[in-house]
Amino acid sequence: MKIMTLLLLLISYVQICFAGVKLEAVYPYSLDKKGEQVVYEGSTMPFYLNLTSFDLPEDEPVSVKVTFPEGFACMSGTNFQATGNVAAAKFLLNKNFAHSFDLLYVEANGKTFGSREALVEITGPTYSEKRTINFTYVEPDEKQKALVQKEKIQQQASASSKKKAKRKIDNKRFNWYIQSVTIPVDNQGLKNDKEEAGVLYVRDTSLESFRNRMTGGGATNWSAVFNHPACHLLLDMRNPQRDIRVLKFKAELINKQTGENVPGLITAGKTNSESENGWAGEMSKDNESTALISLDGKKSQTFILPIYVDYFTILEGDYTLRVTVEGNGQKKIQENPLTISKRHSLGLLAVAFSFLCLLIVFVCAYKIKDTIYQIGAKGAITVALFATIAFGGITLPTTIIGDFIHALLGPFSGLVTGLLSGIFQYLLIVSLLVLYRKPGVVSLLFFVKFMLNGVMFGHFTPLGMLSLSVSVVALEVVLYSVGFFKKKTLSKNYMLLVALALGLCDALTTFVNLEQMMFFYRLFYADWYISLYMLVNGLLYSSIGALLGFKTGNKLKQVMGE
Amino acid sequence: MSVRQLWEGSDEDNFVRTLSGSTKLSCLFLFSILMITVDNPRTLFILFSLTLISHVVAKTSIYKWQALAVLLILSLWGSMFSQALFYAQTPRTPLFVLISPTAGLLGQITDGLYIYREGILYGAVQGLRSASMMTLGLLICWNSDPRQLLNALLAWKLSPQVAFMLVTAIRFLPVLASETGEVITALQLRSNSQSGRTAVLRHLPYIAKPLLARCLRRAQTLALSVVSRGFFLATASKNRGLWPRRELFACICFTAFVVAIVGSKFIYLLSEQGLYFGFFRYVYDWTKLYL
Repeated sequence: MKIMTLLLLLISYVQICFAGVKLEAVYPYSLDKKGEQVVYEGSTMPFYLNLTSFDLPEDEPVSVKVTFPEGFACMSGTNFQATGNVAAAKFLLNKNFAHSFDLLYVEANGKTFGSREALVEITGPTYSEKRTINFTYVEPDEKQKALVQKEKIQQQASASSKKKAKRKIDNKRFNWYIQSVTIPVDNQGLKNDKEEAGVLYVRDTSLESFRNRMTGGGATNWSAVFNHPACHLLLDMRNPQRDIRVLKFKAELINKQTGENVPGLITAGKTNSESENGWAGEMSKDNESTALISLDGKKSQTFILPIYVDYFTILEGDYTLRVTVEGNGQKKIQENPLTISKRHSLGLLAVAFSFLCLLIVFVCAYKIKDTIYQIGAKGAITVALFATIAFGGITLPTTIIGDFIHALLGPFSGLVTGLLSGIFQYLLIVSLLVLYRKPGVVSLLFFVKFMLNGVMFGHFTPLGMLSLSVSVVALEVVLYSVGFFKKKTLSKNYMLLVALALGLCDALTTFVNLEQMMFFYRLFYADWYISLYMLVNGLLYSSIGALLGFKTGNKLKQVMGE
Repeated sequence: MSVRQLWEGSDEDNFVRTLSGSTKLSCLFLFSILMITVDNPRTLFILFSLTLISHVVAKTSIYKWQALAVLLILSLWGSMFSQALFYAQTPRTPLFVLISPTAGLLGQITDGLYIYREGILYGAVQGLRSASMMTLGLLICWNSDPRQLLNALLAWKLSPQVAFMLVTAIRFLPVLASETGEVITALQLRSNSQSGRTAVLRHLPYIAKPLLARCLRRAQTLALSVVSRGFFLATASKNRGLWPRRELFACICFTAFVVAIVGSKFIYLLSEQGLYFGFFRYVYDWTKLYL
């Protein structure tokens, strides 16, 4: 017990002995902490104060007073209140452990050069400290002076032509400025000369976008988005006064016509240790990419900044990219034209798939003769007559009346004409398949219909050939996969499965056809519209048509047997 | 003018009619490749104008011009309508709000549906592609006999069996049309309904079965006739009409031109993806300006 008490007393003693406040005061402060301690005339550099308190008996309020040499001007901040070359602030030191820190920007305009000092005074109920910071105050060389003066005059001349001679140059406005903005560059800041300047290619997220909308946006992998910036921006800054300061960078897309900020760019909003690579999965709502940049006192400095894109809201087109850099009451803006272009990977994939189907059709074309011999003259004539009905009942009305419906219902006309191209077409296909259950019969039907369309209407187009190939390959593969050609008897349950499979197949064909239209005819269709078409025109209509076709086919079998 | 007359070819002699089927089909196919390659609105309009001029050369009748005008207007309007809704580029100016993004489930699914001013213009320009192809397709349709195009296909090694099927399909198109009429009449009589368009629409779902049954019976009869005469397994006749040399040469030139256009567009697109080659810079400039 005694030992325990002794130990506790010892711990308390040690705690009291080591309790205190650690002061860190740096001027001029820079993030790279090179500690050159050189202040140039006319520059604005930060004074950094950090008070680390630990094991204090009570919370302790302290007053801080910083006095700079004559001619230096302190700038008020969040904590520091400045009066000329003197700035004062109050901090509360917490009793257990706390960091209290702030930056104070000081503009150096003194007349006496050489070794100078700043005095930091801290006073509190139990803790007081005084510290002197030494630094060298130097005059910029003549070359730099001339350059600064020239830049000042040039910028003032563009701002005001009448008063330029009389007005006194305001040094505060010309400490730093944006020299140029280059976009896109890679993460090393290198511009690829093979890529067009001012064009930003963003990836295609049509499917993800629709999924997110349906699920309420929860499925977005923002970690992936933030881990892979859409591009990088090279910001070239000039800092003639050799300022050291932290500035806020902001990039936003501006509508060229209205001048309004439009959605497209984002900033990662939160970080924590639980999410991948620190991204917590939330983003800012301000439609801008932001970052903090630090001028480190060099006359010219470049920054490579990641630009994050909200793939789900950004639209293709021509914008103005507005880059704003601001800090301590100064704001510099530069606007550059920027074109957003999407990589239509889904469209490319659909087109590639279509060409693959076309290749398969060409390779397997010789087999069509085998199919004709297998089904014989009667089968071939039946296929030809079915193709005639398909042409007269589907192609002809959709060509003539389809345009009228298209004019009335616009893009939704397909839901009406789909009654023919979906239900009636699949009725014909399945009833023919019930009569002649051979591979290649569907291909033959589609081919004769296509040729009929070409010969009668002159519709021999590459897009028509690609659509035909996709339909033929998809249908034959699906029918083969569900074992349609090997099945001895076709039960109702089995045909339900076949109808569903054909519906899904038609949904895929519809998707590929719409993507082809978008790719070849440069048309736009919303993702929800494509899904609606796939669901109604593809899956629903075709499945119904296939089921009706099964019933019709069974009835027609009786006619065949007559 | 009836629908049948609309699709029927004229017998008047003109430049287009004298062209061979192979030339017509080749030009149609190559032109459609050209139309999907070009992006420049001015070039698209020039190509569209060329198709209209070809109708002037072919001395298309006034009735067919009227029909063409109606079809073109409807086609362009449809394209403008759809693109006005789905235009997805900036700048875009909403003219009307059809579905507000806050309008319940529909709003959530569609993210709002607007009519965009820029989309109307974009749709008009992009609609020129399908309009041009339709115009050229109608030119060939109105100035060709189906047999002429069929001969062209046979000359290009179309299987005689498929050609036979195609001929059967063409021959029986009017027969099946009249049979459809008969079936509708029979259905109307059986249901004792009043004649009229609504009655026809009501009977449409019941047309398929009797029509297909007739098809099967006809196929049985035809097959017997065809097989007994040995038509079906006959080999293709070798004399399908030669491709006139001048036309063949013109088609080769047109093909070379289209290949050059597609090639330059392709290398331009590759340059956008980073595959840039300095010695193609004139091609890039030309493609950007005119294609």
